[in-house]
Amino acid sequence: MPLLLTILLAPMVGALLLLFVREDQTAVVRRVALASVSVSLAGAVAALLTYDRVLGGFQHEVFWPWVRSLGIGFHLGVDGINAVLVLLHALCAFTGVLISYAIGSRVKEYYIFYLILITGVFGVFLSLDLFFFYFFYEMAVVPMYPLIGIWGSDVEEQGVVRFSKEYATMKLTIYLTLGAVVALVGLLWLYASTGARTTDLTALQEHFAVRPLPASLQRTLFPLLALGFGVIAPLWPLHSWSPIGHAAAPSAVSMLHAGVLMKLGSYAVIRLAVSLLPAGAQAWLPWLAVLCVFNIVYGGFVAMAQKDLKLIIGYSSSSHMGYVLLGIACLTPLALNGAVLLMFAHGLMTALAFALVGHVYDRAHTRWLPDLGGLAHQLPFIAGCGVIAAMASSGLPGFANFVSELMVFVGGWDAYPVQVVCGVLGVVITSVYMLRVVRGVFFGPARPAYAKVTDARRAFDRLPYVVLIGALLWVGCWPGPLVHTIDVSTRPLIERVNPVPRPLRQLATPTASATTAAVGLVAPTEGVH
Amino acid sequence: MMPWALLTAELTVSGWILLLLGADLIVPAARKARLWLVALAGIAVTWGVLQLVEVPPAGATFQRMFLLDPFAAYFKTLFLLTAAVVVLMTREFRPLAERAGSFYLLLFTAVLGALVLASVNDLLMLFIGLELLTFSLYVMAAYLKTEARSVEAGMKYLVLGSISSGFLVYGIALLYGAAGSTGFDAVRGALLRTATMPSVAAGVLLILAGLGFKIAALPFNFWVPDVYEGAPTPVVAFLSVGSKMAGVVAILRVLYGAFAPLQHIWGEVLALMAAGTMCYGNLAAIPQTNIKRLLGYSSIGHAGYLLMGLATGSAAGAQAVAYYLLAYLVSTLAVFLVVVVASDAVGGDELDRYDGLSKRSPVLAAGLFVGMLSLAGVPPLAGFVGKLFVLLAATDSGLIWLVAIGAVNVAISLYYYLMVVRRMYLLAPRAPDPIRVSGITRTTLFLLLAAIVVIGVVQEPFLVRITDAIRP
Repeated sequence: MPLLLTILLAPMVGALLLLFVREDQTAVVRRVALASVSVSLAGAVAALLTYDRVLGGFQHEVFWPWVRSLGIGFHLGVDGINAVLVLLHALCAFTGVLISYAIGSRVKEYYIFYLILITGVFGVFLSLDLFFFYFFYEMAVVPMYPLIGIWGSDVEEQGVVRFSKEYATMKLTIYLTLGAVVALVGLLWLYASTGARTTDLTALQEHFAVRPLPASLQRTLFPLLALGFGVIAPLWPLHSWSPIGHAAAPSAVSMLHAGVLMKLGSYAVIRLAVSLLPAGAQAWLPWLAVLCVFNIVYGGFVAMAQKDLKLIIGYSSSSHMGYVLLGIACLTPLALNGAVLLMFAHGLMTALAFALVGHVYDRAHTRWLPDLGGLAHQLPFIAGCGVIAAMASSGLPGFANFVSELMVFVGGWDAYPVQVVCGVLGVVITSVYMLRVVRGVFFGPARPAYAKVTDARRAFDRLPYVVLIGALLWVGCWPGPLVHTIDVSTRPLIERVNPVPRPLRQLATPTASATTAAVGLVAPTEGVH
Repeated sequence: MMPWALLTAELTVSGWILLLLGADLIVPAARKARLWLVALAGIAVTWGVLQLVEVPPAGATFQRMFLLDPFAAYFKTLFLLTAAVVVLMTREFRPLAERAGSFYLLLFTAVLGALVLASVNDLLMLFIGLELLTFSLYVMAAYLKTEARSVEAGMKYLVLGSISSGFLVYGIALLYGAAGSTGFDAVRGALLRTATMPSVAAGVLLILAGLGFKIAALPFNFWVPDVYEGAPTPVVAFLSVGSKMAGVVAILRVLYGAFAPLQHIWGEVLALMAAGTMCYGNLAAIPQTNIKRLLGYSSIGHAGYLLMGLATGSAAGAQAVAYYLLAYLVSTLAVFLVVVVASDAVGGDELDRYDGLSKRSPVLAAGLFVGMLSLAGVPPLAGFVGKLFVLLAATDSGLIWLVAIGAVNVAISLYYYLMVVRRMYLLAPRAPDPIRVSGITRTTLFLLLAAIVVIGVVQEPFLVRITDAIRP
């Protein structure tokens, strides 16, 4: 069986198998789920390791004609960009299934929905066909409704419900679906105007190389795609579903949600909007760069004002996604590489943060910051991980976040200096609220109310945290291979959008790898056989 | 004998009507509940006959009033499928049990009308088929004669239906005046030859109004919520699927067969009707508290999408509509099957009785969940592909504004369908006891759900069949 098909279908097969498992056999249910995501994880690692950087382009392709009369094909493939994101999703899914062991009620239904969600996200990252891209996108959005609605928790403020989980999940589903249908209108319009009668991404790109769409049409279509998919990114001011959704969701769902689902939006902007509509991108990306600053600064300040742990992390996620979108908007090789790497780094970091908050909330039964404190006495391991997560989030060197944020800032300096300065301010804001969380939750005198709170003691319980931190540190200390893999695919993309580099900038940043070398991140020759 | 060979399916159904009439007289009242077997056998036999008959590429009989082509065969198959599921539904609907015999009789006359409609090529034939179908439904809607709501539903349907039939006849008369014939071919010829007269345009619009009543298009949809609420649920299922499909098939035949030269007139009218119909249906569905009313409004929303496909006037639009109807058929029948069983168990059609259904019967809740998500257009289910094809055909015809409205309506409809899902999955049940689902119903439901997934994932085989039936 082809590698990518295995990655995609393993969780789906797991979900189907679960239909035949009895409701009360929770141990079996969990094992089936874990086994299926482990297969995907192994596949994702293999896909990244076997990706040939010299050859470039899409590899491990699977192609079956699906609806011939409309030019729809089932087309899977990975390049440097989505290979990294598939690995991110596989890691989050794997650790998410482990964290989901905490779920005690209606376990079978939970894992069925969870595995469908995982399949949908893999499908979006792997599909190279517009039809299946959208197909899997919607398939990933809708399982969120029951996942949050049934297993989530209300967002409370001092015992008063501020947002019920039903409100949160409906808002999330409707926002994302509205965004999706706006993007759908754009995609249909695009498909109808090409005259190529194909939904295949590679075929469309070849077609556009010869006969590009008129620039005016590109400028009309770009906002439809960028805003439609931007809702899930979540682009300010369309972000308001996201922190509430994160806060109401069970921890493992928040992990996937903040860790991976948001990246679907930025990935779609890169893969569809920027790549298919270069003229539209040139016209609209400066505006995107402005919106990102609101994401970063506004999101950061709102996060500072929160007292609910999950809301803090939720707003922090939407703030940090601003860096990713800024990196895309800059459209220099270095910044775009940074944006993709930041998707990876931020995904792992947020997943870690939500897993930790989930542990605290499950044991202490509150996530209200003023009520917590001194938990490091009872939870030394979790507290240690919490400090690490806060450091990663604040962009301390040694973590993947530092590398990628630096790449975005350095790469974006020539394009949007003002926005970059605001972005750097965001790093400071992040440290403020993350350090406050760490101090407020873990440090201070031990509180008698939490005397019975238990740490993650067994190695098995610690596994998800170790995996996530390990990946963050590994990429943070040795980003070269990953950056090179990403670079193989971002470079042709940028050349397509910016065929003639603007003269001034050419002086400043001759090539990405030279700049990368100049900042001392990687040696330019490394990884090229 | 050749002319009659093309009518084999209709003749079989007619024969079975007589058989059911006899059976209803002979079978003792206590065993009338078993008559569903006879009805189901009749549908199976008709289906078999339809498969055996060699469908010519363009067979016609009775001075070209009646056609049998792949288009007719495709829709006849769908009508029979609908009728079969409705028969299985009536098994579970207890109020019908004692008077099941004549109910199946009426169902068969309705099916006969629908089968005729799939083959019409003449305005009078259209009228006959439509009236045969609608008259049966008038009686069926009022079938629970001791229940005021059912009688009210029948009355409302009768009054408004008669008015719309009046429109239809008036339109036919005007066109006959212009063309000198009621045959579709003659009408098309006349429309091609002469400049459009106001009376002709009025005739076309009146016929569209009469047919718009059948598919519940704005502004001819005011009967829908009350009739859906009051009529027996299996009848509502047939009304929602069979009758709507018959209306769409008739519109397809008339527009593409007779009125093709006037596309500039009806294309715009239908596009406006589509936009209004789907917005009205989906928005009005939101505050409903009764599941049958909700489904009534949602069926108006779906009529909007069907009209969008029809408004394109292109072959791709017609094919998209055919796919949409297939998807709508399996999804709606699955939903109504659950509603029939669940309403009996939970004691009513009010939405709050569905609270916590997933705990009382995971099978029924899953059926409603999948069926409704398919209706909302969520992949990988059938409804998604149907909507996508319709939107695609409309985009190809340059109706971007209509596509945008249609796309936003997807999100609106998802909202109220999810509100039902919320009740079933998120809320606590009112009574804890589990609901028993009989084996036959369970199997039917599983088959329908499997069909929803298959039609949603593997589109090509169905699309090939449809493109075979509807050629440009």
